[in-house]
Amino acid sequence: MSKFKSALLASAVSLSAGGVLSANVAQAEPLNVYTYDSFVSEWGPGPKLEAAFEAQCNCDVNFIAVDDGVSILNRLRVEGKKNKADIIMGLDDALMEETRATGLIAEHKVKLPELRAELNWQDKQFVPFDMGYFAFVYDADKIAEPVTSLRELINSDASVIYQDPRTSTPGQGLMMWVESVYGDESEAAWKQLSQHTVTVTKGWWEAYSMFLEGGADYVLSYTTSPAYHAVVEEKNNYKAAAFSEGHVAQVEVAAVLNTSKQPELAQQFLQFMVSPEAQEILPVTNWMLPVAKNTELPEVFGRLANVERIGFTSEEVAKQRKSWIREWRSAAAK
Amino acid sequence: MLVVALLVLTGNIAVSVLAFQGLIGFSGQGADLSIFSDAYFWGVLSFSVKQAVLSAVLSVMLAWPVARGLYFLPTLRGQQSFLRLCLLAFVMPTLVLITGLVVLFGRSGWLLPLLPDDWNLYGLHGILLAHIYLNMPFAIRMLRQQYNNIPDPAWRLALQLKLSHWQRFCYIELPVLRPVLVMLLGFVFILCFNSFAVVLALGGGPQATTLEVAIYQALKYDFNIPEALSFAWTQLIIAGGLFVVLYRKGSGGWLSVDLPDSHWRPLPGKWAGVAYRTGYGLVWVFLLLPLVSLVFQAARNDLLEFDYLALLQPILLSALLGIMAACLSVIIGYLLLLPVREARYRGMTRRQWLLEWLATHTLIAPAMVTSVGLYVLLLPQTDLDQYGLVLVVVLNTLAVVPFVVQQLRPRLLQYDAQYDQLVRNLKFSPLLRLQAELPYLRQVLINAFALGLLLAIGDVAVFAIFGHQDLITLPWLIYSYAGTYRMDEAAMASLVLLLMCAGLMKLFVVQKLPYKVKDKR
Repeated sequence: MSKFKSALLASAVSLSAGGVLSANVAQAEPLNVYTYDSFVSEWGPGPKLEAAFEAQCNCDVNFIAVDDGVSILNRLRVEGKKNKADIIMGLDDALMEETRATGLIAEHKVKLPELRAELNWQDKQFVPFDMGYFAFVYDADKIAEPVTSLRELINSDASVIYQDPRTSTPGQGLMMWVESVYGDESEAAWKQLSQHTVTVTKGWWEAYSMFLEGGADYVLSYTTSPAYHAVVEEKNNYKAAAFSEGHVAQVEVAAVLNTSKQPELAQQFLQFMVSPEAQEILPVTNWMLPVAKNTELPEVFGRLANVERIGFTSEEVAKQRKSWIREWRSAAAK
Repeated sequence: MLVVALLVLTGNIAVSVLAFQGLIGFSGQGADLSIFSDAYFWGVLSFSVKQAVLSAVLSVMLAWPVARGLYFLPTLRGQQSFLRLCLLAFVMPTLVLITGLVVLFGRSGWLLPLLPDDWNLYGLHGILLAHIYLNMPFAIRMLRQQYNNIPDPAWRLALQLKLSHWQRFCYIELPVLRPVLVMLLGFVFILCFNSFAVVLALGGGPQATTLEVAIYQALKYDFNIPEALSFAWTQLIIAGGLFVVLYRKGSGGWLSVDLPDSHWRPLPGKWAGVAYRTGYGLVWVFLLLPLVSLVFQAARNDLLEFDYLALLQPILLSALLGIMAACLSVIIGYLLLLPVREARYRGMTRRQWLLEWLATHTLIAPAMVTSVGLYVLLLPQTDLDQYGLVLVVVLNTLAVVPFVVQQLRPRLLQYDAQYDQLVRNLKFSPLLRLQAELPYLRQVLINAFALGLLLAIGDVAVFAIFGHQDLITLPWLIYSYAGTYRMDEAAMASLVLLLMCAGLMKLFVVQKLPYKVKDKR
């Protein structure tokens, strides 16, 4: 998820106004894509991807942004068959099963390039376009000795901001992280974490901006977040803490809806998303890792925290998500 | 005319019935009763109650000495402006205040160095601060007015009997104040219990959530309709129930004109005088600080480069929606009173009472409850994206109608008392009757309109449910700016909204009114 300070400068309004304006007709029907807000911000990948794709398709791409990944699914559920999207983009692998269950997802028919081995991708409906590892980001100028494990963080009294797992994919990532590290004891862990939580925000954007304002010691984000500060701001003080238990990964996916009136164009767009052109845009705009092997990356990506992957399969998450959310909610409410 | 009025009344009731039908679970999804065994539910409920009790007690207890000071020291400087500021604090859109509070007390707030290390605006602290700011001024006005009801002879008698301070307090002040104190506590409790924007913006996640916000979250976060319904029912039963109890106890004149009074009262002692003046000064500072901070924060924008156009659409939309709701509510309010007047003319007291109750019945359900009911009902059948804004206007209108009715009623009945017989004898056509009435009603209609607009323009709760993602209102814009900590822009937008409301207040000649209980916080 593109989530950086520069992105914060993009006005929420100019975003939405842009959404309306870009709907101006190049052709009768634009290709509507549901995604999340930071994706389409001025500094996010949206504008660049849009320009690149429009150059080859002679069509009009129209992004419709909601708060965060989980919100895309919620919106889809609310609207059902009345949705306005041809494509949904920016949900993650953890939500695939539940999204599939809406019965709205078509087969992608995309020829995938050679993907990173750790993805082990088999899905016929969802196309992965980037990935990342959740991590707690801190300011090394303020914290000399960062925590080295999730348990250490939860046992500490360091102030933390994270996102609501009901609305945001990072929040959901933390939920899976706590579940896989603590298992049956996760309720107690949430209670303990709530003692030093500054606030739980609706989306990634709110949390990260509050953190940059000095709102907390740690904020839930990605191992790739420091790359943004290094490349764009030439700041090296923001770092991601590597945890000994391993990190939960997030694979961002896109899919064509079977209610789309232009499925071929939509499929073409997904094919574009895994092309070398798009894959090289994503890391330096969305600040995530590419899914295609052999994508060229700025040098700083080589210096990021190297972490081990843990977590659950999409099926496991689909089975447990509701009860995990309930558990989190009750425990965090005290 | 009467036929139109009855149609409007039917429409008004129909919306409530529909919302109710939605609540019962029109689409086969009833309320989720398992929620009652969920610790989260009880956490939310107890937090709602806890913060509302604290807000009410603190607002009233802090207001009391100030109101007392205003009463005993009628020569305090700037008293008129102070009372007007109190009114502004009470009616101004919540998000303006929230921005001011974040600028002052937020994570990089100006006052942070003065605050304890573990200070956190997000959570109970922030919620209480905002609720006290919004309600204490209201309590000050109410209590001051009640003090003015103490008859002069009571003080003279106290002087003759050489009552001590404590005795005077117990035998003269307390009996006069007690009913108002109870009522104030109750009303502020309900306002804060129904609080939405404050808790949404300053709540710290599940630890600090009220029922009103939990309803919204169940619907918009989880898309869990059964759960939203359970929360909505709980909210309706508690807030609505309490409201009925309090509403029946009558109404006071909190918005009445700030009359300079010339009562006789004892002078306070030297130290008491100093204490009153200090308290008065402190409240001045407390009320002004968030507003002044907005000016400075807004000025941090590059004023020449600022994207004023970004504000234009939200300003226009807020104004448009607000004006529509206000106009509609004035027209509906007027029409709803026609059958009331007719019943009164015929001396049917019980029917009159029933009709009056029906005209103001939308006060009982919190905005979020009605919204959720309609949302659940309409979702399967309507494109809410397309018609959402229509519903924003409809629901805001209905929420404002009771205030309009309360404001128009006395004046209309007064008119009837003087001219009704004459008008009937002259057999005026309905149009002519209206023409005859209008000059008499002009000012009160303007007042009702201004009040309706003030209430509707700050709406966040209804917009949160039915709002449009591309066309947003000014309060919602402020919410999204403040949410992403873009305080400079948030302050600018807040300032604009504040100026709009201050302008409206000029239009609004304060007058006798019931409590403003339906709040859009």
